[in-house]
Amino acid sequence: MIAALARRRATGEVRAGAEVAAAAAAAADDWGVSRALLAGDPLLGELGVPAALGADGRELLGWPDGRGRGWRELLGLEGPLATLGVTVPALGVAQRGTLVLETGAGHGRSIDVVSMYHLAVLPASRLRATLAEAMTETYAPGRRRPSAVSLVSGPSRTSDIEKISTLGAHGALAMHVILVADR
Amino acid sequence: MSEPPKAGARPVAYPDAVEPLRERTREALADGELAGNLATAAATWGAGRARIGHEHPFAQMRERTREIRRGNIGRLPELLERLEAQVTEAGGVVARVADSDAACRYVTDLAAARGASLVAKSKSMATEEIKLNEAVEEAGLRVVETDLGEWILQLAGQHPSHIIAPAVHLNKSQVRDLFMAESGDDLPGDREALVAHARRRLREVFASADIGISGVNLAVADTGTLCVVENEGNGRLVTALPRVHVAVMGMERVVADWEEAAHVLQILPMAAIGDDAATYVNLITGPRAPGEADGPEELHLVILDGGRAALRGTEFEEALDCIRCGACLYACPMWRSVGGQAYGSPYSGPIGAVLTPLLEGMRGERSSELPFLSSLCGACHEACPAGIPLHDLLVRLRARVSTPGTRRDRILFRLWSRAWRHPVLYGATRWGARLGLRLVGRGGWARRLPGPGAAWTDQRDLPTRWPPR
Repeated sequence: MIAALARRRATGEVRAGAEVAAAAAAAADDWGVSRALLAGDPLLGELGVPAALGADGRELLGWPDGRGRGWRELLGLEGPLATLGVTVPALGVAQRGTLVLETGAGHGRSIDVVSMYHLAVLPASRLRATLAEAMTETYAPGRRRPSAVSLVSGPSRTSDIEKISTLGAHGALAMHVILVADR
Repeated sequence: MSEPPKAGARPVAYPDAVEPLRERTREALADGELAGNLATAAATWGAGRARIGHEHPFAQMRERTREIRRGNIGRLPELLERLEAQVTEAGGVVARVADSDAACRYVTDLAAARGASLVAKSKSMATEEIKLNEAVEEAGLRVVETDLGEWILQLAGQHPSHIIAPAVHLNKSQVRDLFMAESGDDLPGDREALVAHARRRLREVFASADIGISGVNLAVADTGTLCVVENEGNGRLVTALPRVHVAVMGMERVVADWEEAAHVLQILPMAAIGDDAATYVNLITGPRAPGEADGPEELHLVILDGGRAALRGTEFEEALDCIRCGACLYACPMWRSVGGQAYGSPYSGPIGAVLTPLLEGMRGERSSELPFLSSLCGACHEACPAGIPLHDLLVRLRARVSTPGTRRDRILFRLWSRAWRHPVLYGATRWGARLGLRLVGRGGWARRLPGPGAAWTDQRDLPTRWPPR
């Protein structure tokens, strides 16, 4: 997964559960973010991520409450520009460095693309080898069908000017994945 | 709070044979800047494809894609029934429309009913085909293309020249000029700054659009899921932020289940950009669910026939297998020489030369001319991830649109046909042609043939020996 992420111009690291919070804070420091928009997933709290991100006086917004700020602010047209979206993918696809983000009440479908930077906290046990495996599991008969699933493979990019890949088109300018060693 | 950006020029209709193909290709060939931009684009694509070919069993994957798509088209009515049922069950509204007019009317009626004024669009070939932007603007709304390449073209008052890379024929200084004219800002010339500028301008659109319009790369019948593939993130913003999402798809864009969908989603970016994943694949099953804080309140799926259903069961049916990757464009020596604009159709390259006449019912100038914009070399077939025999389809189309010709033509062709059935006479014509070419050629190339051959070399050069030096 880490190698595939590097190919996709993203970064990744494997951390034990106790180290995740510090790693998340380090990533936020590197990017110089002043506000974080966090998915409402209990895993983040269990790992101490919100506390670590908020320690340096960074503003924290949870989902769905943070949505109350309105799109202009979440998009960075008003307020801080260096914002961080923190997601918890339902699955990951190791072969191609893809995150499978499932929409739900606590997990908005726009968190990673309205933000300037994208940090994903992904338990290693959720890794699958191929896209076919991940998709048959996501859309297994009888399972709740999410209204939206986003496959995200790296930072936003465009090749529309002279065919040369440039990052940060509309979505996140950079993406970092913390793989939680849970097995 | 600054004003959301406006389109610099009103969209212009595709030149429905404003000037003949021969004039359009002559202009394109005279454009040195275009030639450079096309060469760069084709080289980048070729390098990516070569890399993918080494890392993945592309040939096997191509066989599987062909199997999937042949099966999809064979069972099309049944798959569409199931898709419609599943989308409806998920809370979406499905409109099956016969033609462009009906499709546009559905969208403009909906916009009027919701009191909409601003439409944000992500890239979609189907909406280009039905000329949706013009219809929506005529209805008094403002449409902004949010894919960077499409936005650049909208500012330039042009149409896409490529399925995947619409503005591939423009370079960065041309883009900078367009951005400066639109915003009045003085901008640096580097790509990063230009991209950051577009990001900021278009965020104004996402924040205030009433309706988001997208295309559909693939729809999964089993679960009623629409797949929107993109690299920039605008596809997600367009389908997540506005109150209403309208997705427009050609009726052939459906697959049966997730095994098939995963395969096509895997091979699509490989064929298109020589990469094993697109950055974003947005999988949409109905509007926002209860308790969710983003996503559209309404999802409308417009399924367009537009001449497609009539192709099933004909010798042209395989044109429906296309997954719109754009590989045949880059592979085509014609497209690489004249670019997409010369085709005068939203669909350019080999697939455009096939689809345009078929969808237009073989009427009009474009239908009779486009199948001849090909050397029939078959590079398109080799590049196609669905294995469509595009060169065969082009030959069949030529047969359909050709006029019988004069009595003299018929006699000449009959003599030619007789001659080439005899090995000795065939060899003699080859020997004669080689000698003739050497006589008229200079430096390995014949640039001007005498007599009736002059029309052929008008826009082409012929090598006097093979391989050319």
